[in-house]
Amino acid sequence: MTDITIAGTQSTPDIRTEWSTGRLFMQGDSYPENSYELFNQIFEWIERFLADGGRPLSLELNLLYLNTSSIKAMMDIFDLLEAAHQEHKPVAVNWYYDQRNERVAELAEEFKEDCSFPFEIIPSPQA
Amino acid sequence: MVQTKPPPLETRISQLLADPENQDTALHQTLGELWEAHQELVRRLERIARISDAYQSLAKQKEQSLAERVNKQLRQLEKVARISDRYQQMMRDLNLALQEASTHDALTGLPNRRLLVERLKEESERFRRYARPFSVAMIDIDHFKLINDHFGHEIGDNVLVEVARVLDAEIREHDLCGRWGGEEFLVLLPETDQGTASQVLERLRQAVERLTVRVNTASVSVTISVGLAEHLAGNSYSDTINRADGALLAAKRSGRNRASSAVTEDAL
Repeated sequence: MTDITIAGTQSTPDIRTEWSTGRLFMQGDSYPENSYELFNQIFEWIERFLADGGRPLSLELNLLYLNTSSIKAMMDIFDLLEAAHQEHKPVAVNWYYDQRNERVAELAEEFKEDCSFPFEIIPSPQA
Repeated sequence: MVQTKPPPLETRISQLLADPENQDTALHQTLGELWEAHQELVRRLERIARISDAYQSLAKQKEQSLAERVNKQLRQLEKVARISDRYQQMMRDLNLALQEASTHDALTGLPNRRLLVERLKEESERFRRYARPFSVAMIDIDHFKLINDHFGHEIGDNVLVEVARVLDAEIREHDLCGRWGGEEFLVLLPETDQGTASQVLERLRQAVERLTVRVNTASVSVTISVGLAEHLAGNSYSDTINRADGALLAAKRSGRNRASSAVTEDAL
């Protein structure tokens, strides 16, 4: 299955998928002009992966600033994972944040609120 | 929907039609047909009721799922707004921190050269439009290089921080003291002629003279030299800085730890 690799820009995060290991990486700021276009391909990739047998899927996130439409898109993605979790599919989120910016962790907590699947918020010491 | 107990009239008609005694009467045939037509109508009515009920329950289901979806969307919208507000607050605070960082010196916390230049431009504009006077003082710590060489840069930094603290504490409310670079400070004195400025700067000089910075068991004392210039008509703010610099050089040459004023006629 095809993987997605999108190099980050000033307003969009680095996005990379690994079909073979069941991982999706997102890193950076997200305030794209067309967030539907950007997130739709991620959404579709996750849907395809979840439909393809019961292999574990994990999202590795290192997101800083999100604009409103990106927040909405992330919530839709987490809803998708929640639905998969209800069907006993193994899904997880690891949200990394810079220790010096605790507020990113607080925001990740907000996202986590309605999720019953494993959702880790992990401090990372790197700059 | 199914009629379990037929009403008495229907029972009676069924019985009449079934009775062999009535088989050959003239009305039997007609009543039989009427009975058939009646039965057909009843079946049809039941069918309509069944279909109508099905439609109603379908509509009701649809309404419920619509209400659920609306509620879900509303909850999501509230959450998006809440998270978005927090991101915006975070950006606002970051902006303030950035602005502070871009206008202030990291070591001493005093306004940096960028902010000083901005204020100098404003003051020279006020001078041009309203002829409001202002003075500029250039301050240099005497023999600072020796302190750095002798005690190390860390102590040198401590001295800079302490001198900055004293200067900032001694200026008047509307004066602005910033770090111009290295061991040089600039004081901007709005609405102040050279005479008054000279008194303020003399107070600063004395305050720094009284300062001692502890270094382990020993202590370091420093003095400052000051060059003062009042802004003159037709000059740019950098002309005034140059005249203050010239006065500073004169103060250094005549023995340091003193304030010297630029000659006002110089630039005229």
